[in-house]
Amino acid sequence: MRRIVFLIVILAVGLAVDNPYRLQLLTIVGVNTMLTLGLNMLMGYAGQISLGHAAFYGIGAYTTAILTTHAQWPPLLALPAAVLLTAVVALVVGFPTLKLTGYYLGMGTLGFGMIVYILLREWSAVTGGASGLVGIPPLAVGGFTIRPGRDYFYLVWLMVMLLFIICERVVDSRVGRALRAIHDSEKAAAAMGIDTIRAKVSVFVLSAVFAALAGFLYAHLISFISPGSFDFMMSIRLVTMVVIGGMASIWGAVLGAFILTLLPEWLHVFADYEVIIYGSILMTVMIFLPQGLTRGVLDIYERSRHKFNSARSAASQG
Amino acid sequence: MNGPGTNSTAPAPPLLKVESVSKSFGGIHALRGVSFEVREGDIHAVIGPNGAGKTTLFNVITGAYNPERGMVAFEGREVQGGKIHQAASRGIARTFQNVELFGSMSVLENVLVGGHVRTKCGFPGAIFRWPWVRKEEREAVARAMELLEFAGIADIAGNRSADLPFGWQRFVEIARALASQPRLLLLDEPAAGLNGAETQRLGELMRSIRDRGITLLLVEHDMNLTMEISDRLLVLNQGAKLAEGTPREIQANEAVMEAYLGRE
Ligand SMILES: Nc1ncnc2c1ncn2[C@@H]1O[C@H](COP(=O)(O)OP(=O)(O)OP(=O)(O)O)[C@@H](O)[C@H]1O
Ligand SMILES: [Mg+2]
Repeated sequence: MRRIVFLIVILAVGLAVDNPYRLQLLTIVGVNTMLTLGLNMLMGYAGQISLGHAAFYGIGAYTTAILTTHAQWPPLLALPAAVLLTAVVALVVGFPTLKLTGYYLGMGTLGFGMIVYILLREWSAVTGGASGLVGIPPLAVGGFTIRPGRDYFYLVWLMVMLLFIICERVVDSRVGRALRAIHDSEKAAAAMGIDTIRAKVSVFVLSAVFAALAGFLYAHLISFISPGSFDFMMSIRLVTMVVIGGMASIWGAVLGAFILTLLPEWLHVFADYEVIIYGSILMTVMIFLPQGLTRGVLDIYERSRHKFNSARSAASQG
Repeated sequence: MNGPGTNSTAPAPPLLKVESVSKSFGGIHALRGVSFEVREGDIHAVIGPNGAGKTTLFNVITGAYNPERGMVAFEGREVQGGKIHQAASRGIARTFQNVELFGSMSVLENVLVGGHVRTKCGFPGAIFRWPWVRKEEREAVARAMELLEFAGIADIAGNRSADLPFGWQRFVEIARALASQPRLLLLDEPAAGLNGAETQRLGELMRSIRDRGITLLLVEHDMNLTMEISDRLLVLNQGAKLAEGTPREIQANEAVMEAYLGRE
């Protein structure tokens, strides 16, 4: 039912919006939603923070950009390459990193994000350095080209819906329950026979694959990429989207992506203070809710509800 | 009546064998050369004052801790330390002294996680929901419901586990442990925090668990319950074995009475 509503909304928005700038913006909201959906699986459900998620987005985007410009591959062939490379990198990085917890995991992923960013910026011969890569071809399927605009908008949002269904299915499955169990009590999860490291690495790879897909679609949408789109700020932006969305909520992820993509466009004041705003949101979360964001947010909610309830019952008794 | 080992006098190999296990934390010797055996089909209790090393013993048996000396063998095979998640598939399940439920999940989901090692679905299965995955899920839910029924808490299957009263949480934790279809169930102070009626229900539940062919090893401070229910007891004091025997033998043991029971 919700899926049908979702489809109708996408269709209606696609038909109603004519302005190419706005269509592109809404398409980028879709790309960011894909990123947020993946990161939400990692942070919201498995309770693992990543401050370097933009790196996977970047690896996906750059892989397809390099293969389709330098090597002249057709985009459809570059897609599996981008996804595979990103998955392998996530696997290799994930194993040592996800043994870390709390701040250390934050630091580890942050460091990884930095390294990838520096690589993109300095390895000029391949990545085009700071000025990036231009002339990324549009998506072509068979003889049919999906040009940026309405078609691309539909393509991206259909992908969003696909990932959405994947997330819903994973959350409500044996593996999803294992991830949520790790979030709630890692000790008990291990005693139930869950290989916690393996489960964390798996969801890390899943979220990286989502990011690679987003990077692929982004590169062919705007046909020009530079390292700036995949820097530390982007990672922070993604984390903030997930946090704003309320964590461990798939719809929340969509909402977070919407707000944080559109707000800077509409409110230029926001763009000026972006760093400060993200910084404060993140600092608050790290300081006050270090054991995992959802838990923290939920606990606060529970506590205040409790207080409210007991205050109310005290009032009715007194 | 019970498991094969119970009434035969022939020396059947023990289900669990703990051999001169020592474990220390910094300067604290939590376990000093503890040896004992658990026979299949028994309800075996471990008692001892606070800090005697009971929980540490559980952690060594499940492989959560690696002992400095000695070894643990389950069904004749040595338990390797450091790989906690292998205990469940080997047939050892446990509960925790301070109840470790998955608070954000429903009671049913908690028990489904308990069945993790008896199911197979991975990420591809979750995404594509092949027919075998749906079947596996249906069967897992049916088994979980059967266990909740068995533990007398089927009517709260849909409740969020963190919202339950403490006593009920203990029963959920036992049902969750049973879902891994263990041969040995370790219960760490299952009666702590339970009221009289709940403690009695717990005693009955432990007996019916044993009647299902599952061996129980429990740590318990409630002496009435322990003496009434267990076939054998191990008494620990400051990390060392103080005594071992039937409830009658333990109650007649001067050293135990002095070191532990007599103190209160
Ligand atoms: N992870 C640990 N790190 C340091 N010391 C520990 C650790 N676990 C246990 N100890 C110490 O080892 C000793 C035995 O602890 P253990 O928890 O096994 O006792 P217990 O018999 O279960 O006690 P209780 O009845 O209070 O549960 C105690 O002195 C405890 O402080
Ligand atoms: Mg203890």
